[in-house]
Amino acid sequence: MVPTLPPPPPAIAAPAPPTPAAPERSADTSGDLRVAAALTEAQVEVDSRFSGASIVLYGAVFNPGDQPADVVVVVRGPDAPVRLVKKTRNMGVWLNSRPVLFEGAPGFYMTASTRPLSDIADFGQLRRLGVGVNHLRINAPEESRTVTRYGVRDVVVSRLGEDYLDWRRAVIRLKEAAQLYATDPDGVDFVDRGLFRAEVTLPATAPTGRYYTEVWLFQNGEPVSVSNLTLTVQKVGLERDIYEFAHRRPWSYGVLCVLLAALMGYGASRLFRRG
Amino acid sequence: MYLPIAEVSVNWPLLILLGAAVGFVSGLFGIGGGFLMAPVLIFMGIPPSVAVASQASHVVASSTSGVIRYSSQGAVDFRMGGVMALGGVAGALLGVELFRYLRLLGQADLVVALSYLAFLGVIGALMLHESLTEILRRRRGEPARRKDRRRPMWLYGLPWKVRFPKSGLYISAIPPLGLGVFAGVLSAIMGVGGGFILVPVMLYVLRMKAGVVVGTSLFQIIITTGVTTILQAGRNQTVDVVLSTLLLLGGVVGAQWGARMSGRFRAEEMRAALGFIVLGVGLYMGLELFVRPSDLFQLAPGVGN
Repeated sequence: MVPTLPPPPPAIAAPAPPTPAAPERSADTSGDLRVAAALTEAQVEVDSRFSGASIVLYGAVFNPGDQPADVVVVVRGPDAPVRLVKKTRNMGVWLNSRPVLFEGAPGFYMTASTRPLSDIADFGQLRRLGVGVNHLRINAPEESRTVTRYGVRDVVVSRLGEDYLDWRRAVIRLKEAAQLYATDPDGVDFVDRGLFRAEVTLPATAPTGRYYTEVWLFQNGEPVSVSNLTLTVQKVGLERDIYEFAHRRPWSYGVLCVLLAALMGYGASRLFRRG
Repeated sequence: MYLPIAEVSVNWPLLILLGAAVGFVSGLFGIGGGFLMAPVLIFMGIPPSVAVASQASHVVASSTSGVIRYSSQGAVDFRMGGVMALGGVAGALLGVELFRYLRLLGQADLVVALSYLAFLGVIGALMLHESLTEILRRRRGEPARRKDRRRPMWLYGLPWKVRFPKSGLYISAIPPLGLGVFAGVLSAIMGVGGGFILVPVMLYVLRMKAGVVVGTSLFQIIITTGVTTILQAGRNQTVDVVLSTLLLLGGVVGAQWGARMSGRFRAEEMRAALGFIVLGVGLYMGLELFVRPSDLFQLAPGVGN
């Protein structure tokens, strides 16, 4: 038996200490706190084997002082308006209320941080930056208005009232249940001094489009630095072709589907008669 | 496997098996089997609108293979089927628009549940009752009650009389047309062919020759569900060709197998079994109306398009 070896050193070397002599930085800002980050994959391809994806975000904190700093990673997917209904009991039967439309809700949203968000910064700060599911700018309606949408009358676009918060919470709860919204208060791991990693987990239902990633650095409850990244989720190959075909030329697509079905039925009956 | 339109990831061998199982039932009883498929697909997490639209093409395939078999035995009344299909196309147009409107209102799932409960519950209970009394009577050795061969009189009072030689009928075109419209609406809302309603009505109300009933209803179903599929794809973009192909692969094989097995059972026993299945599915789908939902709030589909 070979004696057990000590664990290998981390594959990625510790980040170089902030070099004060870096040519592009003046002496005044060299001592500043900074954060830098990168995604292991900037593109997620959705093909027939797609069942969700996990992307690793790596980053480095340049912290010349000795005050601790907190890292918050925010990933925000493309906007996908949400319609919500509330079940109400009428004469023993559960019926749907009129749907309420929430605009500005992202189709995917996650935060990962070194500590719970509420410990990192105060409510006002988080609200101002829009960091955290509770601070998402899901269209806060100023007034209740009913409009005609898509030819349907009396669609409530937004509604004000005591139960508004219930509705808003429900949007987040349902999205969380679908793994489309996530909050991970210790999702940012420091693997080495100054070097951290976080995992972005996309479920299979993650919408396609452009995802914006913000990596915030907080110190004493104040944001001191931010790094922006983008991530693209797109359908590729046959999946993309089918999707495009179905949306660009829906009628031919429908005819083709029916022909395919009829042909398979015909083929099967032929095959079995011979057999 | 990832479904491009439904945008969910599914276990594809399971879907093929499901297609085969439903195909088997449909071949066995000579029905489309759509009423069984939609609830299972929804249960598997496929959005209801996609499930209903995609499985319609499964119904097309299994009905096609059925019609080919029946027509080789001369058991399809194409004239009757054509008249019904005409109504079916109108009904499908109406139904797809209705479904679209209901989705926007956020009431689509409710209407689907209600229609399942109402139609499947009633038909299932009737079938079960009728076949069980027959079985009991046979067990006791009583002679079969003489069937009432008269058609309802109002069938003769209507205009537009057409001769349907194969069905042995000379009646107005309005009842088959109306029946077709009804089946078309159901096909769009529930994703079913409507055979479970068409067959009893054709048999007991129109009193067509029993031999041509199933073949004719299948022929009508091909056209109606075919048009429904095209409309769903064109208007709602909810037909997932990958999903329907997976279901088809199992379905066509299952249907043939089921058709071969069907000769081995007595007709009333088959009807009793089918009645059980129909009633069970209806009650299962209707349950959501009466059970307190785990979350009072629910996402309503139909924003994107």
